[in-house]
Amino acid sequence: MTKIKSYYDGLVLGAGIAGMQAALDLAGQGFEVLLVDREPSIGGVMVGLNKVFPTLDCSSCICTPRMAEAAHSERIKLLTYTELIAARKQDQGFAVKLRKKPRYVVEEDCIGCSKCELACNYYTGHDFDCGLGARPAIYIPHGNAIPQVPVLDPDSCMFDGNCARVCPTNCIDFTQQAEEIEVTAGAIIVATGLKLSAMDAKKEYGGHEYPNVMNPLAMERVQSSNGPYGHILRPSDGKIPHSIAYVQCAGSRDKSIGVPYCSRVCCMYALKQAIMIRHQLHDAEVTIYHMDIRAFGKGYEQFYRRAVAEGVKVVKAKVARISEVENQDLNLRVELIDEGGRVADIRHDLVVLSLGTMPGWRPGGALPIEIDEDGFITIPEMATRPANSSVDGIFVAGVATGPKDIPDAIVEAGAAAMEAAMYLDRTRSHEAVPA
Amino acid sequence: MSETVQAGDHKASVDGDQPRVGVFVCRCGGNISDIVDVDAVARRLSDVRGVVCATTHQFFCSDPGQALIEQSIKEHNLDRVVVAACSPSLHEITFRRAVARAGLNQYLFEHANIREQVSWVITDKSAATDKAERLVRAAVARTRRLAPLQKRRIHIRPSVLVIGGGVAGLTAARDLAARGIHVTLIESSPFLGGRLAQLHRIFPTGQRARDVVTPLIEEVASNPNIVIHTNAELERASGFIGDFHTVVRIMPRGVSEACTNPQEVIDSCPEETVDGFNLGLAKRKAIYMPYAGCYPPVPAIDWRSCTKCGACFEAAAGKGIDLDEKPREVMIAAGAIVIAAGLNTYAPRHGEYGYGQFQEVVTLAQLNRMLDPTGPTAGKLTVNGRSVRRVGFMHCVGSLQHEGIHKPMRDGRINQYCSRVCCTTTMHAAEEIKDRFPGVQVYDFHEDIRTYGRRHESYYDHVCQQGVAFIRFDPLRPPTVEADTKGEFPLVVKTTDRLTFGEELEVPLDLLVLATGLVARDMSKLVDLYRCSVGADRFLLEVHPKLRPVELAAFGLFLAGSVQGPMDIAESTAAAAAAASKASALIKAGQIELDPFVARVDEHHCSGCKVCLYVCPFTAIERNDSTKTARVNEALCTGCGTCVASCPCNAIQQQGFEDSQVESELMALLAGKPPAEELLAAV
Repeated sequence: MTKIKSYYDGLVLGAGIAGMQAALDLAGQGFEVLLVDREPSIGGVMVGLNKVFPTLDCSSCICTPRMAEAAHSERIKLLTYTELIAARKQDQGFAVKLRKKPRYVVEEDCIGCSKCELACNYYTGHDFDCGLGARPAIYIPHGNAIPQVPVLDPDSCMFDGNCARVCPTNCIDFTQQAEEIEVTAGAIIVATGLKLSAMDAKKEYGGHEYPNVMNPLAMERVQSSNGPYGHILRPSDGKIPHSIAYVQCAGSRDKSIGVPYCSRVCCMYALKQAIMIRHQLHDAEVTIYHMDIRAFGKGYEQFYRRAVAEGVKVVKAKVARISEVENQDLNLRVELIDEGGRVADIRHDLVVLSLGTMPGWRPGGALPIEIDEDGFITIPEMATRPANSSVDGIFVAGVATGPKDIPDAIVEAGAAAMEAAMYLDRTRSHEAVPA
Repeated sequence: MSETVQAGDHKASVDGDQPRVGVFVCRCGGNISDIVDVDAVARRLSDVRGVVCATTHQFFCSDPGQALIEQSIKEHNLDRVVVAACSPSLHEITFRRAVARAGLNQYLFEHANIREQVSWVITDKSAATDKAERLVRAAVARTRRLAPLQKRRIHIRPSVLVIGGGVAGLTAARDLAARGIHVTLIESSPFLGGRLAQLHRIFPTGQRARDVVTPLIEEVASNPNIVIHTNAELERASGFIGDFHTVVRIMPRGVSEACTNPQEVIDSCPEETVDGFNLGLAKRKAIYMPYAGCYPPVPAIDWRSCTKCGACFEAAAGKGIDLDEKPREVMIAAGAIVIAAGLNTYAPRHGEYGYGQFQEVVTLAQLNRMLDPTGPTAGKLTVNGRSVRRVGFMHCVGSLQHEGIHKPMRDGRINQYCSRVCCTTTMHAAEEIKDRFPGVQVYDFHEDIRTYGRRHESYYDHVCQQGVAFIRFDPLRPPTVEADTKGEFPLVVKTTDRLTFGEELEVPLDLLVLATGLVARDMSKLVDLYRCSVGADRFLLEVHPKLRPVELAAFGLFLAGSVQGPMDIAESTAAAAAAASKASALIKAGQIELDPFVARVDEHHCSGCKVCLYVCPFTAIERNDSTKTARVNEALCTGCGTCVASCPCNAIQQQGFEDSQVESELMALLAGKPPAEELLAAV
């Protein structure tokens, strides 16, 4: 592993699909890039998805080559499990302070043999599977993780030393401390992605108390062949669900929970998950309760029609309340718009809340850029410079500027890389670049 | 995680000259291994002659998967590699690179597709496993015959041709030039600015479109790295990545910069015609400028309406007017091409929602011109001289069409797709009407409201508060438009409203605005010249929406903006910058390496019959006059194999697909006693 240099042309914050693409596009134009992610592996949200709309490609098949490409690029240096403390603009680019969190594993020495994982006796919910599967206290984040280096979670570790005893390279270090890293970056690209709106944002949906009301990312994992169950099962009792409901706009277009905007991807991911359920469970009924179906992108309306043709029920109705009934099934009280506004109680055995998209990271004081009232990064000239933040030299890609699907995030990453390249051409005096 | 089957017995028996093949069978996280018994495939393959190791892994495309391949190559001293996994279109390059990293020639690799061709299409596990085994055996047989090959290296000319002078083309040109790259921008109309110039205000910033387009054009026009040709039509094209040659025909403008009094010259013209810039809402002269501040700031003559009366020539005192100007051709050499040809708005049929029947039915684009204070109605909302009291918006005109309800377009296909921008444009226009003309009542007839983008929903929210009435129709029973017989209003829209649970409504209106969708332009010439892929929606088709979203299949061609599908201004700008980024990376690299799968002529066997010259679709074969034999231009050859198949002397072989390689692959596929159907299918 090469050492961190003191200067990089570009610092990319966030190594999800947008950050990786921005880093690759910037490196492709000849610049040196430091790609930083706060998680122990690169790949972001996308690497945990099952399939992607509208092509139904497997998400890993699109995402893992990008991860491998970023890892193999001679001009990209990866820095995982690392957070930004602060970046300040100065004469020569940005003075950046980073904090590398302790993995309790010496990355340079680890060979990814998994022996520590197998030796560990203490298990907890697997973060990658949204808590549905189990993982040991020391674990490689997931099968496709880059780097393939475990991370030790001190909250679930009992420090019995089993892992250290089996480690062939003696790379487990219980005393490891966080490390501060200082670099200078010519330009910064923020690609800090998304988090979903809270499961308990709408108390009347019971997302926080009923086990069979699921979060859509957990559903992605459940549908994945490498997910926690390997099949679609409902969490409470492992029963194969027969009647699944999707509640649209469960975390978007709703002023009462502070998310007034449209999250842009929920209609499509619900349709996609519904299709995948029908592919795996041929006799399952899937109903999507929605206000509008926003199938706006290239091939999206055709995908919507395909879902309907394949038997997915799409019902115009706002769900008022979800309550648990016997067998931990769920009762949905809905107003059926196309049936004269009839209020009906409809029973399902699994419910997915189509949660909204919120900014994955708020810069606070770490970056000197402006933020909109909803937490997304302000883009002053949104129509003509969609990747430029309020500070010259700081560019933004992907969901950090607002909800976005994968193709739009990838295209915007290209735009951010282009803007950064132009900025570097403008400002970087080649003689003055420190070695 | 992985299981390696050691083929120990064979290892000893394989002598030094025998290829040493490694077989890697991927589980694809269950995508393959749920159907195919991959361990059995690996086990069976380990018995095949020459196979030194056979291994499985969860994801060979992942970093540890690739590392395992590299490690096996070194450990077992492999000189041939077969990976059985997904389609080679996804990961052939990934595995080639892994092979190369291990120090092996990357063309000693073969990719067997056991996902799309096996596990995704066969449900019987045992049949799937047998088929997978057979495909991998064939790949092994083929690899044994492979020879190391070297990539072709092609020099990239440091200049880019940008086709289209709208917001996407202008942005791409500006960005490339900013990186010091020479750009030639061609625009088919006489003026730059495209559709953006025609808009009134743009969302989500609410800026005047003119305030966006004018500075952008100024930046492009003043950049010494950019050469602009307006009135330029594509004529011929040849070449390939790194060295495209495009001939454009510059149509006569009739006016040059030497004309110093353009307004007087325009006023002098006696001929009036329909003003296309104002979408038929006004008239203009045969010599014209579309709007004040347009670029170039030089009038153009519309030859279809010009009678060559000479009035303009006299008004200009002969300076800068040439009524007999001839078209001229310009050759543009470029290393890469950015296609930003834009799109059209859907033209409603006569009678579609009363369009063409009633003057009170206009398109959203026309309304935009009416709302523009510098536009044909000076910003007044009037129809037939009467001010508008009630206006209706009809969504999805020309979009979200259904078989049996909507008539197909000229190519026989309907527009199933969503045009993406019309909902927010409608909300934006409704908001402006409510702001500027508070007394006007606004009705919105829709199927779904798709204000998906950043800050788009707030327009929807705001117009709801402003009192716009939303009426939701059933797409299978769209509203009808008739003359209002009661007389107070010219039109009445009749529909069923789903939001009031099926109430039948009659809404009288002064003006009905059709939110027309976006459609691809006629790009047949462009598609023909550069062999572009076109989607079922008639827009140009990218290679893959996520892997290569701004690239065409032919190398060196990039897509910018709405030539690819409906986009708003911000999305077009982002796509243009992304295309510029790809083109800039290519130009800055200065060279590119291409696969070596080209045709090779064996001069000793060539009879000089020239059949290959005639059949080559890429004019890549020349005749060497001294030896009277054929010769392949490797830079132009795409490896299509047409010449190989047509050579009567069997004198042409295609590298990587030589007869001996394909034959051994076929023999392995057909080995044993396969049923007749399978034989037929394989042949």
